[in-house]
Amino acid sequence: MNFQKKRCVAMLLAGGQGSRLLVLTENTAKPAVPFGGKYRIIDFPLSNCVNSGIDTVGILTQYQPLELNEYIGNGQPWGLNRSHGGVQILPPYARSKKSEWYKGTANAIYQNMAFIERYDPDNVLILSGDHIYRMDYAKMIRYHEEHDSDVTIAVRQVPIEEASRFGIMNTNPDGSIYEFEEKPKQPKSNNASMGIYVFKWSILKQFLIDDEENPNSDNDFGKNVIPAILQAGHKMFAYDFEGYWKDVGTISSLWEANMDLLGTDPEFNLYGDGTAPIFARNYALPASYIDTGSKNINCLIAEGCEIYGLVRHSVVSTGCRMGKDAVVEDSVIMPNTVIEEGVIIRNAIVGEGCVIRRGAVIGGAFHDGEKRQIAVIGKDHVIEVNQVVKPGEVI
Amino acid sequence: MKNVMGLVFANIYDSSLGQLTNKRTQASLPYGGRYRQIDFTLSNMSNAGIRHIDIVTQYNFQSLMNHVGSGEEWDLELEDGGLEFITPYSVGQSNTFRGKLEAIAAISDAYLSRGKEEYIILADAAVICAINLDEVMDAHIASGKDVTVVVKAGIANGKKQLDLAVRLDENGEISDMAVDYAAPESCLASMGMFILRKDLLLRSAAECVSRNRYRLEREFILREWNEGRLSVNAYEFHNVALFNESTEEYFRNNLAIIDRKVRHSLYRDGLTIYTKVRDQVPCYYGENSQIDDCIVADGCVLLGSAYNSVFFRSVKLSTGASVRNCVVMSKCEIGIGAQLEYCILDKDVKINAGVKLIGTMEHPVILNRGDVV
Repeated sequence: MNFQKKRCVAMLLAGGQGSRLLVLTENTAKPAVPFGGKYRIIDFPLSNCVNSGIDTVGILTQYQPLELNEYIGNGQPWGLNRSHGGVQILPPYARSKKSEWYKGTANAIYQNMAFIERYDPDNVLILSGDHIYRMDYAKMIRYHEEHDSDVTIAVRQVPIEEASRFGIMNTNPDGSIYEFEEKPKQPKSNNASMGIYVFKWSILKQFLIDDEENPNSDNDFGKNVIPAILQAGHKMFAYDFEGYWKDVGTISSLWEANMDLLGTDPEFNLYGDGTAPIFARNYALPASYIDTGSKNINCLIAEGCEIYGLVRHSVVSTGCRMGKDAVVEDSVIMPNTVIEEGVIIRNAIVGEGCVIRRGAVIGGAFHDGEKRQIAVIGKDHVIEVNQVVKPGEVI
Repeated sequence: MKNVMGLVFANIYDSSLGQLTNKRTQASLPYGGRYRQIDFTLSNMSNAGIRHIDIVTQYNFQSLMNHVGSGEEWDLELEDGGLEFITPYSVGQSNTFRGKLEAIAAISDAYLSRGKEEYIILADAAVICAINLDEVMDAHIASGKDVTVVVKAGIANGKKQLDLAVRLDENGEISDMAVDYAAPESCLASMGMFILRKDLLLRSAAECVSRNRYRLEREFILREWNEGRLSVNAYEFHNVALFNESTEEYFRNNLAIIDRKVRHSLYRDGLTIYTKVRDQVPCYYGENSQIDDCIVADGCVLLGSAYNSVFFRSVKLSTGASVRNCVVMSKCEIGIGAQLEYCILDKDVKINAGVKLIGTMEHPVILNRGDVV
């Protein structure tokens, strides 16, 4: 079939196990973890694609893909149900010669080169499925093209004392990258890679093939492919991104990113300036009911809830019910969870579809100077009457 | 119910809803924080597996078409059947219809007779309810009668003008029937929903219209029943049914959904109400907000206080503002310290800081779309 050319195809890496999210990713791929009351993590990069005019997105899945596949469906909520392009789920599959799991991020793209080739793109945008941010990729691609760059890597400034936790790009004054250091002990700069890359497809293709032939490679973008391209002397530029960005790969960062949505002038404004909405699959739920005995202070409550208790500095997701005298503070309640009367939840993340029975206590207060400990309840759990889940406990 | 098609009349009570239907059909009136009235009609049909629905609309239908679109939210975006709008321009001769029969006769050849379905359900969007139409259909077949009309007790009160009222005997058979009548409490009110064979309806509509009769209830159902040529079965609906046929009823019934019993009757398992999706963020409640007994849709930012009110999507309620017993439609902005009681704010109304507006339950203050106060 003769496919029309696309300027840029996005490939979204959604295969990671997300083991640092503990029980939350027991049966769910990390990008499908609920976020912000009515979203899932993958809604952010997907919506960014759509808002940047990219209409062809491949989603590379591997670990617990069922829920994610169902969520993405035909891509209609994101306007990605296109007859040419649109969204495609790309799981590993058995090929004629051999069948194998994705061995690394680069190998995942390598195995799907045929998908990319169909669109004959100039550039390929590589994204991660576990970051919360709003970004106009079109600006980055324009920068990439204006600099006739072979590889452009989005970077953000991090405090220098944290730089050793990231992949650091050392750049010349013109923004070109002369050195890439993965988690350097003594960082020379604070330009941290955000895991967002634009490659010239012709270059990437060659290096993916070379990387695959190298038996010593981990087939990873950060560790292998990018250093190899740099070493070969190709043009590599850093693209500065200013704005909110958070890797939500751990329980504490997931909790923090949710809390960053709160306030009248939040760290991360879900609404933004109204021009780049975050799209999500919406379920048919009525507007929420807020009872006269309830109190909602500095919180987000999504549709389909019935709230009879007190919610303070928390995110309560779609379809939750919360009984009288129940208290939710500094917590994230994921969709369709029932919190019965008199339950107290503090500093916790409660997964989807849980039932917290009367009088149960989850997590606890947090005092200045102490390390905040987040209690976590996995999906579909039932916490019994008066059961106590200690601060930081994971169920 | 593959064997049944739906026919929805979108403009039925426009004239008695005053300024609220200046620029929209009765069917596209906002309801319940995130719905339009027709969502209930379409969802009831869709939930019963009806896959072919025609919507007859005569004027002001832009907002309705925008809302319903291709019908994909109701699973009606289909190759075969699906959803179709019938506007005055859809058929040749007559531009507006004087009554449902005239409309049916006019669109009979071009639309209604084309489908394979044997039965047809007629409905409008004036009555809000969640009804299992499978059960109504089963009851219709079991009754062996020509027509089933869905009726509700407790609506007739001797004052409210009813399109069609029936009295039932001890066996549930219709013993008396009246049209355009403020029937006494002992009567049951028609919910505007009828099931009958499509061929019977089309034949009867053609016959009636050829004799210059165009009103469904008066000149077909009542007349033919009186003369013994039509058998009519009444299906009594026992759950909540809200008749929004006037501004006052519309206001009262919008606030009624705050009541738990009403809410839980309208949102029941297996009878999901679908609506057009808009990607709004969850509602934000401010540090000093005090929201009591309210219905709140996504996209709102509530910093002030509110009691017994319905907030549609993306309403901004400023600090110190107080809203009591109000219906606030989407994208309204209520300024600092404003005080509103018994008001209906149509979409995009802006209330400036310190403004005070107080109506009554019977006569709410109604602000038109885009008004700035």
